[in-house]
Amino acid sequence: MKKLYICLSLAAITALASCKKEFLNQSPPAAIPISGAIKTPTDLNEAVNGMYAAMSRTNFFGRDIPILGDLLADNIYISYNNSGRYQSENNYTFTATNGEANDIYSQGYYSILQANRIIAANVASNDDVKQLKGEAYAARALCYLELVNFFAKPYTVDPNADGVPIITAPTSPATAFTKPARAKVSEVYNKIISDLDSAFMLMPEAGTSLHKTNSYYIAKHAVKAIEARVYLYKGDYVNAKTAALDVVNNGGYTLTTADNLVAYWANPSGVSNGMETIFELALTTANNNNFDGLDYFYSQDGYGDALVTKDLYSKYAVTDARKGLIYEGDHLGDPALVNNKYSNVTNPSDKDDIKIIRYAEVLLTLAESYAHTGDNANALIYLNQLAKQRDPAFTGYASTGAQLITDILNERRKELAFEGLRYFDFTRLNLPIDRPQQDDSAPSLENIPVGFNKRILPIPQAEIDANSNTKQNPGY
Amino acid sequence: MKKKLLSICLLLLAGVSLAIAQSKKITGKVTGDDGLPLPAVSVRLEATNQGVLTNNNGDYEITASAGQVLSFSYIGYTTFKLTISDGSLYNVKLLADTHLLTEVVVKDSYGSLAKKGYTGAASVVNGRQNENKPFSSPMESLQGEVAGLNITSNSGQPGADVQVRLRGVGSIGAGSNPLYVIDGAIINSGDLSSLTTSTNVLAGINQDDIDNITVLKDAAATAIYGSRGSNGVIVINTKKGKNGKTQVRFDTEIGRTNNLPLPEDGKPLTGPQFKELFIEGLRNYGYGDAAIASVSKSYGLNGRYNNWYDLVTRNGSQQQYNLSVSGGSDNTRVFASGGYFKQDATTIGSKLKRINGLLNIDHNISKRVTLNLNINASNIIQNTPTNGGAYANPILAAYFLRPFQLARNDDGSINSKSSGATNFSSTFNPLWLVGNDKNQANITRILSTGSVKWNIWDELNFTSFASIDYDALEENVYNNPIQGDGVSSGGSAYDNYTRYFNFITRNQLDYKYKIGGSEDFTISATVGYEAQKNQAYFLVTNANGFPVSQPTLITSINASVPIQAQASFGNYTFDAIYSRASINFKNKYVLSATYRRDGSSVFGSSSRYGDFYSIGGTWNLDEEDFFRKQSIFSSTKLRSSYGTTGNANFGNNNYYFTQTTAAYGANYGGANGQNFNNIGNPNLTWESAHKFDVGVDFGFFNDRLSFDVDYYHNNINKLIQAVPISLTTGFPTITSNVGAMVNKGFEFEIKGVPVKTKDFTWNTSFNIALNKNTVTQLSDNSPYISGVFRVNEGRDFYTYYMRQYAGVDPANGDALWYTDASKKATTNNYSDAARVAAKQADPKGFGGFNNTFTYKGITLSADVYYNFGNYVFDSFAYYLADGTYLPNNRYQYVYTRRWTTPGQITDVPKVVLGGTNDGESSDISSRFLYKGDYIRLKNLTVGYDFKNIDYLKKAGITRLYLYGRGTNLFTKTYDKHLPFDPEVGVTGISNLEVPQVRTFTIGLNVGL
Repeated sequence: MKKLYICLSLAAITALASCKKEFLNQSPPAAIPISGAIKTPTDLNEAVNGMYAAMSRTNFFGRDIPILGDLLADNIYISYNNSGRYQSENNYTFTATNGEANDIYSQGYYSILQANRIIAANVASNDDVKQLKGEAYAARALCYLELVNFFAKPYTVDPNADGVPIITAPTSPATAFTKPARAKVSEVYNKIISDLDSAFMLMPEAGTSLHKTNSYYIAKHAVKAIEARVYLYKGDYVNAKTAALDVVNNGGYTLTTADNLVAYWANPSGVSNGMETIFELALTTANNNNFDGLDYFYSQDGYGDALVTKDLYSKYAVTDARKGLIYEGDHLGDPALVNNKYSNVTNPSDKDDIKIIRYAEVLLTLAESYAHTGDNANALIYLNQLAKQRDPAFTGYASTGAQLITDILNERRKELAFEGLRYFDFTRLNLPIDRPQQDDSAPSLENIPVGFNKRILPIPQAEIDANSNTKQNPGY
Repeated sequence: MKKKLLSICLLLLAGVSLAIAQSKKITGKVTGDDGLPLPAVSVRLEATNQGVLTNNNGDYEITASAGQVLSFSYIGYTTFKLTISDGSLYNVKLLADTHLLTEVVVKDSYGSLAKKGYTGAASVVNGRQNENKPFSSPMESLQGEVAGLNITSNSGQPGADVQVRLRGVGSIGAGSNPLYVIDGAIINSGDLSSLTTSTNVLAGINQDDIDNITVLKDAAATAIYGSRGSNGVIVINTKKGKNGKTQVRFDTEIGRTNNLPLPEDGKPLTGPQFKELFIEGLRNYGYGDAAIASVSKSYGLNGRYNNWYDLVTRNGSQQQYNLSVSGGSDNTRVFASGGYFKQDATTIGSKLKRINGLLNIDHNISKRVTLNLNINASNIIQNTPTNGGAYANPILAAYFLRPFQLARNDDGSINSKSSGATNFSSTFNPLWLVGNDKNQANITRILSTGSVKWNIWDELNFTSFASIDYDALEENVYNNPIQGDGVSSGGSAYDNYTRYFNFITRNQLDYKYKIGGSEDFTISATVGYEAQKNQAYFLVTNANGFPVSQPTLITSINASVPIQAQASFGNYTFDAIYSRASINFKNKYVLSATYRRDGSSVFGSSSRYGDFYSIGGTWNLDEEDFFRKQSIFSSTKLRSSYGTTGNANFGNNNYYFTQTTAAYGANYGGANGQNFNNIGNPNLTWESAHKFDVGVDFGFFNDRLSFDVDYYHNNINKLIQAVPISLTTGFPTITSNVGAMVNKGFEFEIKGVPVKTKDFTWNTSFNIALNKNTVTQLSDNSPYISGVFRVNEGRDFYTYYMRQYAGVDPANGDALWYTDASKKATTNNYSDAARVAAKQADPKGFGGFNNTFTYKGITLSADVYYNFGNYVFDSFAYYLADGTYLPNNRYQYVYTRRWTTPGQITDVPKVVLGGTNDGESSDISSRFLYKGDYIRLKNLTVGYDFKNIDYLKKAGITRLYLYGRGTNLFTKTYDKHLPFDPEVGVTGISNLEVPQVRTFTIGLNVGL
């Protein structure tokens, strides 16, 4: 009898112990194995959305890039009364452990990973798939352009300098420990250009029903607009001119009127009529960077730490519509010039998008390319096309030679302020940066001479630590 | 006859009178060896169901007949049995049990083991000693009571999570919190909140419901918990009913909470001080008189001012009421209780309310089958302000807001304006927020366990156990549209619902074999199977746009713009077989072994199962003949164990490290988006600890004094580390089992009753734990930086790594740093100073010293906690330590110690707008590292026990105890410059949390 009890009990335990093997397989709620993530064009489209979302984060185009692009130059400064952000950039005291350098580098490669995955995806080709893959190529090029310009010497200074590592295949557990070395700047540029060429070739001429002429996605001629910027930064004015002309002739983009300029900037939605915006990253009510947004950093309803330099403000004529994008307000009680390009901080139903490339930039690139290649007449046509559109009272530039280049650069400054581009005008042309001191600025370095090491960001210390093949930039 | 009884049983029988031999009434008085009557002694008639308890005078009355055996038992006394003969009056004197160790039982999920034969290192804290203490969770009371158990709160918020480390930090990438078990069930612990600042599910446990807390430390004690035993196990056993007369208890404690005094150096500046420094900072920057006058005007420096620290703090109230009933018969025993607890911290907007109930039923279904059912339910409503650098944090406001930013308008109403320098455009007005925002968590926990024990035959038992651990958190955050975080969204509400459902089932066989049929030599064995599934469910919602003029309509149904509505889940499972066996020879030699095979969904498919074992041995020297020849020790126990345990503690919802995945939710422009979001490691498995422990427990003076010492050496390897990989992969780290560390140390514990006379008793306990943590292996052997720490082989895990401050340049008021560790040269260029690894955040030693003095009815007890050898870092000093953030308020020490004149030797740089040294004067350095040593009088109680008062006895009151209590009355620190309370949590970093409070309460315990 006793033995029977034991047997029964043991049987009961064994029966209960034989839980099904699936009991130990638990899946995450929002994730799927990477191997099965992209199988159809719909999946591919969602991956492209994810790629744009990655690019729009605070630590890439969402805030760090556009802030640094103006702050390291002479358009904005950080108030002494601030939330603790971007002070080392204001004062050029950043070191290898700088947060923004790490953020831009990390998020840049994270975005590139998303693009690599799309490019490598094995999906039967059709027009949609070609368009989507083309966007991934172009986005990858855009990311590498930011990385090579923030972290390496300008091409125009030294094309053989260390650029950034070129990664073109998606990471896997097997490749997670690779330690890629930095490619040369020229190699990175070659890759960028070849990616843009691939993108342009892949994208159907007529576009597809997907992403057709919507500024939230990279369109075929947006690729050429990006390419124009790439060639301009490279100092290859002939090719810059060709790319820009393609946009002007075939892109179907237009400028808004002076009267509508403020309204254009206040509009938080994308455009599908080719008006001004060529490509922007969408931020919506539900998907935005909230307190870490670019808008929140500029707006006096947000942190409002970044203020406009008096120097920039003084450049606008009173009749210039763009002057209306800056207002004389106050920051925490101190009088201040406030950027108003991003005004939807308190708009509960939509948020400001991040402008990546606009038609005005293409016109200015075209003008500058003509000027550098000796065609002053054509340069003036495109320069004045923009300048007179913005300031109806303006009679137009008539300069030549070096003065013409200076005028174009000033026009670029006025037009593209707060879009993160100003700094690269100094670096690609290897010009000293003069940052007149503002009364109420946090500590700020006034003169950034040519050859100053901190004209480029440090490779993040985390990368140096994890990747022994990466060389640090001089001076860090 | 009389003489014989005495000599055999060491018992005094006084007065035996004659009576009839048949069933008769037996009466008598039970006293202790001090002659005082013992109430509530269980008097039972053996082999029957009959039993009574003695009354308050120690008297009992029971019906019995000659030849039957009466058994008298009482905790702490030797059970005495007598056979009824002719008499009817049996006065009994019970002797205090000299061998207290034998009374203590170590009870874990898998059984109860008498401490004498126990081979592991475990501490048992009787629940009685922490009843009614005004702490919101039992772990806070436990601080200083268990050697080796380091408990720190980084916040005085009632209900906030408490950080607990047993024998040092035990992990890098997984958790270091111990495993918590309540009434046998492995529970979800820690902070389960998803929205509010911090919660602690253990705050749902009423201290008055705890019978004991058992801390399992070494391998012999913890290996039975397998992959989750590495960080130790804290077992909370709740009270059970006792048969006999029903006992009713009512306890209450009410009082108030006060601020702990701020160190002088840490007070914010007053209005005039701020004005003086602000103007000085502007002048030093180069402002002229006109500019200063203009700024002074816009900053309101000539107007009224207020003291923000006073405005965000207050005196709060503290109260609790507990009622319990315990009783039953031989067949059914019940313990039921209900409690209410309410505490306001001294920071505005910080409070907690709890109601809870416990029902514990034991029932004998038949002679061989018993049933236990336990239901523990609680509800907590907790309001917690934000912490750290949040602009809405009231403590941040106390330090950041200028005295000239005015809390109230001239008409006395609260100032909600956000533009202008006397209003609130960055740090918000905390008074406005406390009235208009909401930060609340409503936490319901139901923990229910049930077990059926079937005694198959004498020595074989089968136990089936099941438990449900149900936690539901409703969290509501509302930010008003007028001022604060809600302005940019037109008012916003976040409503999260989090539910954890944790189910465990267990089937177990216990067998005891008597070798040769004798109790002298036994083998006990346990084998069982356990399965656990935890299902978490999350709802996250957010809506914006609230009616501006309707401040009461703050639930999201009133919002105009829905932003987010997400549901998610997180599950994990465990699946284990376990066994435990021991051989006991005369309680002299005991050998034990445990084995557990654990499987879990948490780990990679290729390393899903792990085996954990331990062996332990005990030698009770006092059972040896030779031992009796000496008279120094009254008992000596030698024990040692070795074994392996794991650490699968990844927090409560982070279980997918092993998988390489793409995740949805990376939406773009309102459309679905997916990202390659995780690079997984399919080989990932638990961290594994090899634990060695050797301990000796000595008893002196008939065991009135005990001295326990333990040495342990825990070798922890396969540490889970987020191994840095090249950022070009798209990921900063991959989770791998790479590291190793060692925790070793000593624990000493002295307990005893040094003085015990008829009227006066002194109970004391003292413990100290010394731990040394050393990281022994890291990925690639390379140190890595984690905030202000650098984790480096050969050093303590929490070793600070920062530039070494060298004081102020007497010539110009610049901050100076040493260029390197040699401290030979200084520099005023921050970048030129090298970071140096020095000093640690975890204490080298800590412990408690608790004393209770009883004189007649008066009781005085004092609990002291201390810790030493650690340093704390002021993480907000950057903003508060000099002129770097001139428009903020700052610490008092800037006013008193700033550099002002050439040649001055001081440690606070010149106050200048933007700071000295190109704005880097207050960057991270050892300037903000302070000695964290302290001694704190945690608890002081003075009470009077109204014993032997006839009036009360007539009213049926068996106990009436009235007392007053103060907590945190006194803290001695050892760094005169420390600007805040030294208890900042396990990482040593201050975070502008709700400060600890001091309570003054009056309590009353009534027993019926």
